[in-house]
Amino acid sequence: MKNPLKIAVYSGEIPSTTFIERLILGLSNKEEYQILLFGLKHKSSVNYNKNVCVYAYTSNKLSKGLHLLKYTILLELFKRSEKKRLNAILASTEQDSLNNRVKYYPVLWHKPDIFHIQWAKSLKDWSWVQDFGIKLVLSLRGAHINYSPIADHQLSQVYRENFPKVDGFHAVSKAMKKEASQYGAPLNKCRVIYSGMESSVLKEEEKKRNSVLQIISVGRSHWIKGYSYALDACKILRDQEVAFKYYIVGGLNNLELMYQIDDLGLKSHVELLDNMPFEKVQKLIHQSDLLILPSLEEGIANVVLEAMLLETMVLSTHCGGMDEILKEGENGFLVPIRDVRALADAIIKIIKLSPSDYKQIIGRAKKSVCAQHNVNHMISGMSKLYEDTINDNFSDSSNV
Amino acid sequence: MKLKIGIVLTSVPAYSETFFSNKINGLIENGMEVILFTGSPLGNNRNLPYEVKEIQVYNKGWLVNLLHVIKACLKAIFINPIRSLKMLRYELADGVSILDSFKNVLVCQSILSYRLDWLHFGFGTLAVGKENVAKTLKAKMAVSFRGYDLYITPLKIDGYYNKLFGKQVKYHVLSQEMCIDLEKKGVERNHIKVITPAIDTSFFMPSTKGDKNDKIQLLTVARLHWKKGLEYTLEALFHLKKMGVDFQYDIIGTGEEYERLMFAVHQFNLSDCVNFIGKQSQEQIKHIMEKTDVYIQYSIQEGFCNAVLEAQAMSLLCVVSNAEGLQENVLNNETGWVVPKRNPQMLALKIKEVIDLSETEKSEVRKAARLRVENNFTLQQQQKKFIEFYNSDH
Repeated sequence: MKNPLKIAVYSGEIPSTTFIERLILGLSNKEEYQILLFGLKHKSSVNYNKNVCVYAYTSNKLSKGLHLLKYTILLELFKRSEKKRLNAILASTEQDSLNNRVKYYPVLWHKPDIFHIQWAKSLKDWSWVQDFGIKLVLSLRGAHINYSPIADHQLSQVYRENFPKVDGFHAVSKAMKKEASQYGAPLNKCRVIYSGMESSVLKEEEKKRNSVLQIISVGRSHWIKGYSYALDACKILRDQEVAFKYYIVGGLNNLELMYQIDDLGLKSHVELLDNMPFEKVQKLIHQSDLLILPSLEEGIANVVLEAMLLETMVLSTHCGGMDEILKEGENGFLVPIRDVRALADAIIKIIKLSPSDYKQIIGRAKKSVCAQHNVNHMISGMSKLYEDTINDNFSDSSNV
Repeated sequence: MKLKIGIVLTSVPAYSETFFSNKINGLIENGMEVILFTGSPLGNNRNLPYEVKEIQVYNKGWLVNLLHVIKACLKAIFINPIRSLKMLRYELADGVSILDSFKNVLVCQSILSYRLDWLHFGFGTLAVGKENVAKTLKAKMAVSFRGYDLYITPLKIDGYYNKLFGKQVKYHVLSQEMCIDLEKKGVERNHIKVITPAIDTSFFMPSTKGDKNDKIQLLTVARLHWKKGLEYTLEALFHLKKMGVDFQYDIIGTGEEYERLMFAVHQFNLSDCVNFIGKQSQEQIKHIMEKTDVYIQYSIQEGFCNAVLEAQAMSLLCVVSNAEGLQENVLNNETGWVVPKRNPQMLALKIKEVIDLSETEKSEVRKAARLRVENNFTLQQQQKKFIEFYNSDH
C-alpha cells in the first residue's frame, strides 16, 4: 500500500477554530492522508479520526520542557545533522529560542510532506521547513491579509519577501486572492477554495417572521465588524419610528458600543450579548428576521453562510468576498461599507418585502450556499491543491 | 495652620500635564501642603515640591502580592489599628462584603497613616472602594470627574458610583454640561464646582509669521482612542476631498486605535493627505499649530479638552463636536464652530464653509478665540479657583 501523504495543518492551537476543525475532519476522512497537528493543546479535547496524529504540549512549563526534551533526544540520536542545520538557520535568523525549539523540533522530527499554515502572520517563522524538503502551503484568510499589513508596514514587507517563496496558496475568496497578489503571491499558485458548510441541524424547524423586526449580528467584538455603523443606522431607524430589536452576539461589555447605545438613546432597541455556544447562536440566527454584517472587511463571513443556510435574510456590506456569495436582491442584500444611510434604507426595504419575496430570497440564499460551500468541494479542492503543490503543477492559472 | 491636602492620582503628573502640576504648585505657593498618593511610583528622581506616596496596586504576581498583603496587614495592626478598625466598620455598615471590606482597608493603608484636611480623588474611578477613607481620617472628601470616568466607565457596572454618591463629597467637574449630568445622577448642585482646565497662554501664543500654506493644513491633537471620533473625522475628510478641497491633515498622538484609523485612511483613499505624526513635545505641538489653518476636535465624548484651548490660544480656527464640555470650550460662531457629533457630512460642510470664509471673518473668530482663552482659561485663574475650592465648604 502506498504511504499516506503527511499533511500538517498548522494553526498553532489544538483544537482550532470551527472552520479549520472542519477542514481537519474533512481531510482525515480520506485514507490517503495522514494529518499531523502541532502546537499548543487546549483543555477541550476533540475526538479525531485515527489518521490524525496530535503532537502537542500544554501551556505549562513542565509540559513544554518534556516535549522539548523528547524531541531533542530523538533528533540528537537519529537526525543529528538536520538538527544542527536547523539550529544554524535559527541562529542566523535570530529565532533561536527555547520556545521556538519546542515548536520546531517536533515538525523536523515528523517531517510532513506538506506544512499547511492557516494564519499568514506566522509564515516567516516557518519558512525554514522548505530547507528540509517540506512543501509550504499558506491559507489566505481574515485579518492577517485584510487589514493587518495595511497598518503594519513591517508585516507587509515580510509578506512581500516570503509570499513569492510559498509552494501553494489557499484563498478563502477571490477577493482574498487578489489582495494577496499585492504582496507578491503568484496568482497561478493560488487556488480559491470556498469553506465547506455543514447543513444546518435546525433545518426541520419552520421559519417564521417576527411581529417586531428582529435583527442580529454575530461576531467578535472588534472594530473591523463595523458595529458602530450599524448602531448609527439604528438611530436612523428609531428616528423614523421603525419597530425593531437588534442583538449583537459577542458585543457584551464593549465600552464603545455601550456608550454609543447610551448616547444615541438606543437602550430599548439594542442588546449586547455574550459569546455563546454554536448551537445557541444558530438558534438565535434562525429566530431572527435579518442578519446584518456591517463589516469593513471580510473574507467570506462564515456567519453569513450560516444565516443563509438557516433561512435568515442577510444584509451585508459589500466588502471582501461577500459579493461572491451574495447577489443584491436575489439571495440577500449588499450595501457599501461605512454607509449608515444605505444600511438603514436597506433594512427598511427588507421590512417592506412581501412574504412571498422574502421566502423566495431566503430559499435562493440557501441553495447558493449549498452549491458553493459544499464540504466535498472544499476537500476535493484542497486535495488538488496538495497534489499540485507536491508535483509543482501550477503551470496554468486554473482555479476551483 | 497649614491646610494639608492629599491628592489621589493614577501616576505622578507628567511634565506635559500642566493642569495637574499647575494646580498642585498653586496650592503649595499659597501655603498648603500637598501629598500625592499614586498607584505607580515615581519613575525617575524628579525634584518635586510635594511628597509622593505609593498606593499598592495588587497586580504583580501572586508572590509579590502576598508580600504586600502581609506588609499591609502589619501596618493595619501596628501602625493604623484604630483607623483601620474604624474604616472596616464603615465599610461593613455600607453593606460591603467582609472580604471586600478587608481588601479596601488594606489597599488604603498608605493614606490611613496621614492626617489630612482634604482627600481629593483626581478621577471618580479612583474613589471607588475608598469612599470611607476621608471619613475615617475626619478629612473632607473631594472627587474630580474628567469625562471618561463619568460617562464611560460606569457603563460597565450598574450602580458603579452608588456608594460614592451616598457620601458627603465636594465634586469638581470640567464643564457646566458635566455638572448637569452629575446632578441628574442625584448629586446636589451646591456640592458641585465647575473649574475648567487651563493652559499657559504665554506659551501658546499665536505666531506672527504670516506664511501662507500651499494647501489647507488641518490638525487634531488626540490620543488614538475611539472616544476622540477620529474615524468620523476621516469620513468627513473623505467628503471634503470629494468636494475638491486640497488639504493635509495631521494627527498628533498615539494609541490603541492606530490600526483601525490607518485602515480607515486606506479605505477612504486618504493616504496621500493624512499623516499620523505620533506623540510630540509641547514645543513641537506649538510649532505645528503655527502652520495650521483649521483645528478639528470631533470627539464622541470629551470632558472639556485642553488641546482645543491651546488651539484657540494659538488663534486657530477650531471646528469641534458638541460632545459634553466641547460646546462650552468653543462658542459656536464666535470663537469657532460646533457641529453635532457623529455626523461626518455635516462636519465636512462646516470645514469647507470655514475655509471659504473671508480673511476678515476668519480674523474676527481668531481674535475672539484668543481673547476668550486669555480672559477665562489661564493657569492663574485655575489656581485661584482651586484655592477657593478647598477654602470653602460648598
